[in-house]
Amino acid sequence: MLTSKPWRTALWMALALFATSVMLFPLYWVVISSLKNTTELFQSPPTLFPHQIDWTPYITNFVQNQVILHYMFNSMQIALGTMLLSLVLAAPMAYGLARLPVRGKNIFLLFFLVVQMFPGIMLALPLFVMFTHIGLINSLPAVILAVTTRTLPFAVLVLRPFFLSLPRELEDAAFIDGCNRWGAFYRIILPLSRPGVLTVAILTFLMGWSDFLFPLTLISDDTQRPLTLGLYNFIGEYGTRWNDLMAVSVVAAVPIILAFMFAQRYITSGLVAGSVKE
Amino acid sequence: MSTTLIPPPRISEVASSPKKRRRLSRRIGPYLFLLPATCFMIIFLVYPIGSMLVFSFQQVNIGGLLSGDTPFVGLDNYRTVLSDAAFRSSFLVSLAFTAASLIFQFSIGFLLALLFNRRLPLIGVMRGSVMIAWMLPIVVSGTIFKWMLQSDSGIINYALQSIGLIHTPIHWLSDPKIAIWGVIIANIWIGVPFNMSLLLAGLQSISASLYEAAVVDGASALRRLFFITLPLMRSTSLTVLMLGLIYTLNVFDVIYVMTGGGPVNATEAMPIYAYRISFTQFDLGSGAAAAILIFLLLLAVSSIYLWLIRREETA
Repeated sequence: MLTSKPWRTALWMALALFATSVMLFPLYWVVISSLKNTTELFQSPPTLFPHQIDWTPYITNFVQNQVILHYMFNSMQIALGTMLLSLVLAAPMAYGLARLPVRGKNIFLLFFLVVQMFPGIMLALPLFVMFTHIGLINSLPAVILAVTTRTLPFAVLVLRPFFLSLPRELEDAAFIDGCNRWGAFYRIILPLSRPGVLTVAILTFLMGWSDFLFPLTLISDDTQRPLTLGLYNFIGEYGTRWNDLMAVSVVAAVPIILAFMFAQRYITSGLVAGSVKE
Repeated sequence: MSTTLIPPPRISEVASSPKKRRRLSRRIGPYLFLLPATCFMIIFLVYPIGSMLVFSFQQVNIGGLLSGDTPFVGLDNYRTVLSDAAFRSSFLVSLAFTAASLIFQFSIGFLLALLFNRRLPLIGVMRGSVMIAWMLPIVVSGTIFKWMLQSDSGIINYALQSIGLIHTPIHWLSDPKIAIWGVIIANIWIGVPFNMSLLLAGLQSISASLYEAAVVDGASALRRLFFITLPLMRSTSLTVLMLGLIYTLNVFDVIYVMTGGGPVNATEAMPIYAYRISFTQFDLGSGAAAAILIFLLLLAVSSIYLWLIRREETA
């Protein structure tokens, strides 16, 4: 880039910091609101930092009332299930489309690209009918299967470039050593594509954790609800208890914040790669 | 390096020459890698969508669903939906929601991308932290904005009032005329990081030497923006806008969480309409017809997208 004078850098820096803080303000506000007591919450003018930090919303929702912990446990199962299923299905597919002599690769790629554009509701409706018929409705596996229809195309499109970038000689070396295709894939290719696999694992986990439409349409039993659906129901139940709602929101956001803190570069590159045709 | 290396013959090719069976497995083998994902997509995506296409020509309610009594009614469902004033209103809501979201997401995203494309200290951290908005569960983002947009205790009204932009609080989510802007604001915040990151990737692929040459020629920063950056960002911008269009037409969660489509259908976009018909009125046949109509709209939009991409690539 071009070099510029120090005062200019300072100006741009100030602008960048301002833009970042505006974008991050809602996150700040949710945390701050969750730590205020009810009086301070509705006080005008609002305080930018609580005078008195009040942990009550967290204690009520996560210690005294165990329902939310149960929702979180369900969310965790959905997220893990989505992640595993997506990886198991997408990795061989992406490898096949990257490396193996297969006809119609472009048709598959186009299919995965187009499928991502389907409206979720268009899938939720027939899946509701299908799962009702086979008795899978109101269960976590139903949600996992449904969410994976969204994450699988994404996972394939993100993983394929990673496999494409590995040198071909690796597979040949594996064949010399007596591996068959699956052996080479499992023992050589997958371990070497760790960054790609990690990216997909994190993102599909988060997509499973965050999904709302499929739990909304496929689950009516309270014991099977994930946290997103629980939070939505609290909006109706809690009415104006915004500090409670904000506390639950903060906890629902924790996996995303953690992922960004520890694996940001995987996420950013994966999101961009999954959105556009490479 | 003195000699050109002759690649050794592939071991896989040498070893498998004699046996016929081996050859067959070599040809079919690769397809086995595609099999699990293909089966999954056929069972849980292609088949359900096909069956929904069938529903859209049937009368399907919950009772009929369980007993299997779903008579064919021809195009009745489509007629019902298309003549429903609520569907037509949902089309307009979707149009307004999508247009406003796209314009603001894209322009804010572009400005941010230009800003974050500079070499500044901590720029990586700033870029990354802005992306959090994208990955946050939409239910969470919706709840946060619902709180910030409250009429009497929301921070947004307070901020607008304290800088003198408004004098009485705006009823962001309860006034039927304004509610659409409430959900649009939240959706802009959610969509900006997506636009920013794709546009930033585009900006970074523009060669720095172009700018250096322009500086040597004495081009001002503004001229560099208009004569180098913007023309070279055309194809990236097109992709971002088309993807944004498709995603935004599909938006369900934000609106559902913030207003549920209300007040009085004021924010009922097409996906919310399809949901209401199917899951609260349990008229699955009409719901399917509505979903198919949304899909046809998206199909038209995405074929334009694919056509434009192909044209950009060959041009």
